[in-house]
Amino acid sequence: MSVWNYVVTAHKPTNVTHSCVGNFTSSQELNLIIAKCTRIEINLLTPQGLQPMLDVPIYGRIATLELFRPHGEAQDFLFIATERYKFCVLQWDAETSELITRAMGDVSDRIGRPTDNGQIGIIDPDCRLIGLHLYDGLFKVIPFDNKGQLKEAFNIRLEELQVLDIKFLHGCSKPTIVVLYQDNKDARHVKTYEVALKDKDFIEGPWSQNNLDNGADLLIPVPPPFCGVLIIGEETIVYCSANVFRAIPIRPSITKAYGRVDADGSRYLLGDHAGLLHLLVITHEKEKVTGLKIELLGETSIASTISYLDNAFVFIGSSYGDSQLVKLNLQPDAKGSYVEVLDRYVNLGPIVDFCVVDLERQGQGQVVTCSGAYKDGSLRIVRNGIGINEQASVELQGIKGMWSLRSLTDDPFDTFLVVSFISETRILAMNIEDELEETEIEGFCSQVQTLFCHCAVFNQLVQVTSSSVRLVSSTTRELRQEWNAPSGYSINVATANATQVLLATGAGHLVYLEIGDGTLTQAKHAQLECEISCLDINPIGENPNYSQLAAVGMWTDISVRIFSLPDLNLITKEPLGGEIIPRSVLLCSFEGISYLLCALGDGHLLNFLLNLSTGELKDRKKVSLGTQPITLRTFSSKNTTHVFAASDRPTVIYSSNKKLLYSNVNLKEVSHMCPFNSAAFPDSLAIAKEGELSIGTIDDIQKLHIRSIPLGEHARRICHQEQSRTFSICSMKNQSNAEESEMHFIRLLDDQTFEFISTYPLDTFEYGCSILSCSFSDDSNVYYCVGTAYVLPEENEPTKGRILVFIVEDGKLQLIAEKETKGAVYSLNAFNGKLLAAINQKIQLYKWMLRDDGTRELQSECGHHGHILALYVQTRGDFIVVGDLMKSISLLIYKHEEGAIEERARDYNANWMSAVEILDDDIYLGAENNFNLFTVRKNSEGATDEERGRLEVVGEYHLGEFVNRFRHGSLVMRLPDSDVGQIPTVIFGTVNGVIGVIASLPHEQYLFLEKLQSNLRKVIKGVGGLSHEQWRSFNNEKKTVDAKNFLDGDLIESFLDLSRSRMDEISKAMEISVEELCKRVEELTRLH
Amino acid sequence: MESSSSCPSDSNPKPPGASKFLSNLPSLGFLSSTVSSSNPGGMRVYICEHDTSPPEGQQIKTNQTNILIRSLQLNKHKGDSSSKDVKGLTATEGSRKRAPERALDSRAPAKRGNNQIGSRQGFEHTEGSDSRTSDKDYYSLTVERLRALLKERGLSPKGKKDELVARLRVCTFHMIGSTNTGT
Repeated sequence: MSVWNYVVTAHKPTNVTHSCVGNFTSSQELNLIIAKCTRIEINLLTPQGLQPMLDVPIYGRIATLELFRPHGEAQDFLFIATERYKFCVLQWDAETSELITRAMGDVSDRIGRPTDNGQIGIIDPDCRLIGLHLYDGLFKVIPFDNKGQLKEAFNIRLEELQVLDIKFLHGCSKPTIVVLYQDNKDARHVKTYEVALKDKDFIEGPWSQNNLDNGADLLIPVPPPFCGVLIIGEETIVYCSANVFRAIPIRPSITKAYGRVDADGSRYLLGDHAGLLHLLVITHEKEKVTGLKIELLGETSIASTISYLDNAFVFIGSSYGDSQLVKLNLQPDAKGSYVEVLDRYVNLGPIVDFCVVDLERQGQGQVVTCSGAYKDGSLRIVRNGIGINEQASVELQGIKGMWSLRSLTDDPFDTFLVVSFISETRILAMNIEDELEETEIEGFCSQVQTLFCHCAVFNQLVQVTSSSVRLVSSTTRELRQEWNAPSGYSINVATANATQVLLATGAGHLVYLEIGDGTLTQAKHAQLECEISCLDINPIGENPNYSQLAAVGMWTDISVRIFSLPDLNLITKEPLGGEIIPRSVLLCSFEGISYLLCALGDGHLLNFLLNLSTGELKDRKKVSLGTQPITLRTFSSKNTTHVFAASDRPTVIYSSNKKLLYSNVNLKEVSHMCPFNSAAFPDSLAIAKEGELSIGTIDDIQKLHIRSIPLGEHARRICHQEQSRTFSICSMKNQSNAEESEMHFIRLLDDQTFEFISTYPLDTFEYGCSILSCSFSDDSNVYYCVGTAYVLPEENEPTKGRILVFIVEDGKLQLIAEKETKGAVYSLNAFNGKLLAAINQKIQLYKWMLRDDGTRELQSECGHHGHILALYVQTRGDFIVVGDLMKSISLLIYKHEEGAIEERARDYNANWMSAVEILDDDIYLGAENNFNLFTVRKNSEGATDEERGRLEVVGEYHLGEFVNRFRHGSLVMRLPDSDVGQIPTVIFGTVNGVIGVIASLPHEQYLFLEKLQSNLRKVIKGVGGLSHEQWRSFNNEKKTVDAKNFLDGDLIESFLDLSRSRMDEISKAMEISVEELCKRVEELTRLH
Repeated sequence: MESSSSCPSDSNPKPPGASKFLSNLPSLGFLSSTVSSSNPGGMRVYICEHDTSPPEGQQIKTNQTNILIRSLQLNKHKGDSSSKDVKGLTATEGSRKRAPERALDSRAPAKRGNNQIGSRQGFEHTEGSDSRTSDKDYYSLTVERLRALLKERGLSPKGKKDELVARLRVCTFHMIGSTNTGT
């Protein structure tokens, strides 16, 4: 790999951090707005459900999301503040469908200690000011003027240093905040302040309340008529206002989120840490609060945000599990739950660990993640591309073509499958036992190769062979009419639809036939100047049985032409350029847009926009799908038409957001495909590959496929063992009522069924910290090694741990050896046939020794001190790269002769690491806890020891994601002969559920894309006026510097979503054609 | 609200405890028919091609003045303005009084010169009386206040405090002179 890296998101963040409901897109429409850390999603509430509208990337990590309605406005505005102290106010412009920036700004202060408990952003209910608590001891005010415009912000000194929550009170003549805080004796109180905008200061508020619940953590402001505030603690809930104080005890729980149900604030939904949903009711008499009631409703995912939508529907946003759409039923179900889960929205976050495996052994990586936390923990299998689930297969060599036929024109199912070989044609049909059986259609000629088959109107079938076109009745199966090729000519290529046949004979003769009831009429003939290579008359106009256009691909002049039907007049001639002939053309229509697809002999595919009325072709784009000739065929799945491109790298072409997308199919080589929708195999495809005919169904058409394996416990480490075909995980189970609340396990899972097949329970207080599958020198067995730590409540750092060595025998984990350590075993690596462990401050190497009695043991060989905590270790050859808790990356070397580990070099920056990986011999990649990535380089050519001992920082980038793990590998099939196949990649997984790819580019390509990125920055603006350059700049407490040697692939790939005029603009600035630019960017999208 | 107020909160031994609180959930008619699962791939990614810079004056910055200094200034200002308020009041009253005069002036431009001097004189009386007595009083005023005074006199409000005071002094001298000659 190299220092020139390209970072791109393969799976977007799914961790829902905030949500709110309001009239954002119009005064009449109700929207649910969801924040997923660096993106917001706008949904529309309709009678039929939630309708997704827009997915908006934000150049920042969202800290606050609020909807508010300034005076005199008809619709709500959206206030967003980011963790890097930027804020913006957005308004939806329904006319242009754009997000307008109403205001934005920077609310950072030069001096100030960032709050420990997270940033708070609140808006006065009467819209007089926005309040922000970003630094300890400061409350920032952005006042509104009376026209709803924002004015200069100012800070007010806040006496309380440990603020837990701040909210605005309703119904106050002066804007009043209520502050929940902790004093230096750890007691918690609330206090109110009036904000005096003129004096820019606080005035002591109307009331305060001392000595609340020790776990009080959340304030809920109550709207008029009651006003006041609810204080949610761990054991009590208190309602407090100037003259009323009501409290109720609750079962101990930590409330994570709340959602207001009624506009008058009499009912609230509370979600706790265990995923239980409660209803809190304020009982009252004549607008006077008389008491509180709390009722358990049921269980959901552990909520991070709750939004009551409408009509008893509630959105539960979760950081630890899937987000949900639930309905509150009036009557409980059999289990006593009032909550009915109607929909789940997949969330991979937090990805604590993952591994890259090739389970189906197809040469394509799959990512298996440890996702979710606590009771919502799960494993997720993430796979790129579209899978075919094979249902039947038969060995058949030399298939040259396949077509499915119906026995009656309006039969919903296909009956026959016509399979053509070089010198014969076989017909297969489903028999009564739902088996595929060879049959006959008497009117077909089965002694020769079939060029094309199709169902025709009037219950007829058409077969085209090299000598004739045969029209056969599908009921009597007898020949009704035959059209013979003129003598001396044979038919080379042919195509047909229900009423038309178009065929080409040698010497450029193009013949057009029309099908009637028992008649085949030669309607037109044309002579072209060169040979025809491919044809298509797929009807995409209004009439599903008749095409008014014909697409023809030509030899010699390498062009594609559009003819009108039935008169065969040439409308358009499009030279393709180059020397590769078109092998397959297809007229098709996606999402109401017509295209001409043209596949070349070298695996490239051209697509054009086709004007159906004029036959014009425009917006030519080229992509490379494989290296072999492609055959194009349409098929439908879930009532949508897609195109299957059969080649050495089969691809499904589909359309989303009116853009063509290419998704590879998880099959190695497909020569032919045809849809085969039979009663026994509905919605299936027949696929000819490598001497085999198989029938299978196709996955949903989307890029990434995610399969969930719910565990009910929190998986923290995962590892795959090829030899035993198992996974092993370290997991943690929370037990609600047992004496020890947590239990830790090592579990063995089958890698196909993902069932637990064996479990090894760890001791009390013992955590699984690391897991590895490895073998040792002089021992052919493969072992699972597990590193643990005893986490005792009274210790700051673990001082004891174990290394356990297991072997898988008969599907059971057998403990072979165990070694006590003097600390937590944070990392394990296989190293020169030995075991390298990171134990607290130390790196320790163990030998695998045979004792006299034949048993094995781990024996310590050597070690290296000098870290704060060596958390992450990677090795390559004799080199060891250590990611320290707070001392960035250091490089160690193992010296065989001396049997010692020495430090070679280190990065002297104080980065708090969250993951490391070795990119190549000299370059190491790190992720740190301020959401940055960086690369360092070993300087072996340095003149002095001092220079050689320093790892030079060569790349820096703000990812905006907390990376938990890097792994070498790829999500896509890597073909050695494609361009993209040469690019080495690293996959990363983050807390927000992002799976990303870091690809090392050749320098030339990097420079090209860097130029493209800077051009795109000028065209694609940050929503809310946030700057891309600032967003991607490396940032921590000490410094902020521009990103270097990393490119933002998400920005670069959004080039493909630009309007044509903007693409032209960029192509002009880049001095390269749009077609070439699209091709180069599309190639990059193949990386993930 | 109705639901919760209608049912007595304390005594309801019915086992389905939450049911009574779950009636009359707010509804505006959305999500009413059978809710179908939403299509996950249906969300359009927003690509922002238009200008996103905020309208003029809506790029918000934070007042950089230190809180302590600001509050001192504000207090000072308050103190000033409370005393100034009186003056301001008298000044405005004065101007109000003079307003009809001015209206007359415009009709009789010949008298203007005199009147202006007169008004200045009046100004001196209300405001400049103390400044004439001692220069120290100028120094006791804040720079802002000095600038305001300079502006009132149609002089440049730029420069350091010393310069401002000097300018004011020169001005008052001139005016004294002119009033003397005028009368």
